[in-house]
Amino acid sequence: MKKTSFHFLRVGLAITFLWIGVLIFKNPEAWGGYLQPWAAGLLPIPIAQAMIGTAILDITIGAFLLLDFLPWLAAFVGAIHIIIVLTTSGITDITVRDIGLLVAALALMIDSLPQWVLKWFIKKQPTPGMGQSPEIKNNY
Amino acid sequence: MTSYALLFTLSAIGISETVYLIRARIKSEKPVCPIGGGCALVLTSKYNKIFIVPNDILGLLFYVAASFISAFLVIGVGPLVFWYFILKLSVAFGTILSLFFTYLQWRVVHAWCFWCLMSAFTIWFMGTIILVSSLI
Repeated sequence: MKKTSFHFLRVGLAITFLWIGVLIFKNPEAWGGYLQPWAAGLLPIPIAQAMIGTAILDITIGAFLLLDFLPWLAAFVGAIHIIIVLTTSGITDITVRDIGLLVAALALMIDSLPQWVLKWFIKKQPTPGMGQSPEIKNNY
Repeated sequence: MTSYALLFTLSAIGISETVYLIRARIKSEKPVCPIGGGCALVLTSKYNKIFIVPNDILGLLFYVAASFISAFLVIGVGPLVFWYFILKLSVAFGTILSLFFTYLQWRVVHAWCFWCLMSAFTIWFMGTIILVSSLI
């Protein structure tokens, strides 16, 4: 990704996470209403406390992205968080917006992955030629 | 509520730009200067700090305070009247200081710094939002 566009996306996503965190802090019970009954039933703590925890997580992700501190990790946690939100809130009229945020977070994560994570990931992949027939190997 | 959302957004933009400038200064790197080309000249001039505090640090402190106060006003963390007064006072002070720094770039340093102007416009926009929201 071009460097300028990366920073535009990073700051934009940071503001979104920060502001949603602030709004959840303002009215945690109302935001808890978006949870599906089956998901609310799984919570071991009151829904308001769970939502305050969510607000803290949102603000932390937003702060990391805004300060450009471990942006890949913040985007990764943000993407997982959005996947959980999508799962526990069900399909609604605003689901498409969450999908947009999820893809934006994934794009940020992929673009800012540090070298050591990439090297670790590549090591886990099978090397070219492994498990292939001699004819295919000779083509390399 | 809408005005606080805008103030919070502008504060966040201010935080990201001042953090970038602080990082560049600590690493002794020249910041990217998309318009004007005089960023390095302005940022290394003798006007780049007030007493011993660099202007980028002062800007960061201002934007962090503004974002916290906007959030407090939305969430309802009191005393709300006090927070709103502090916000208005700090934005008014920041507006005047930004005018002074813009004058310095124009008449004294004779160079334009993209990041300084962006910060100035951010603060002026914050001032405009507070003014307009008070009138409505």
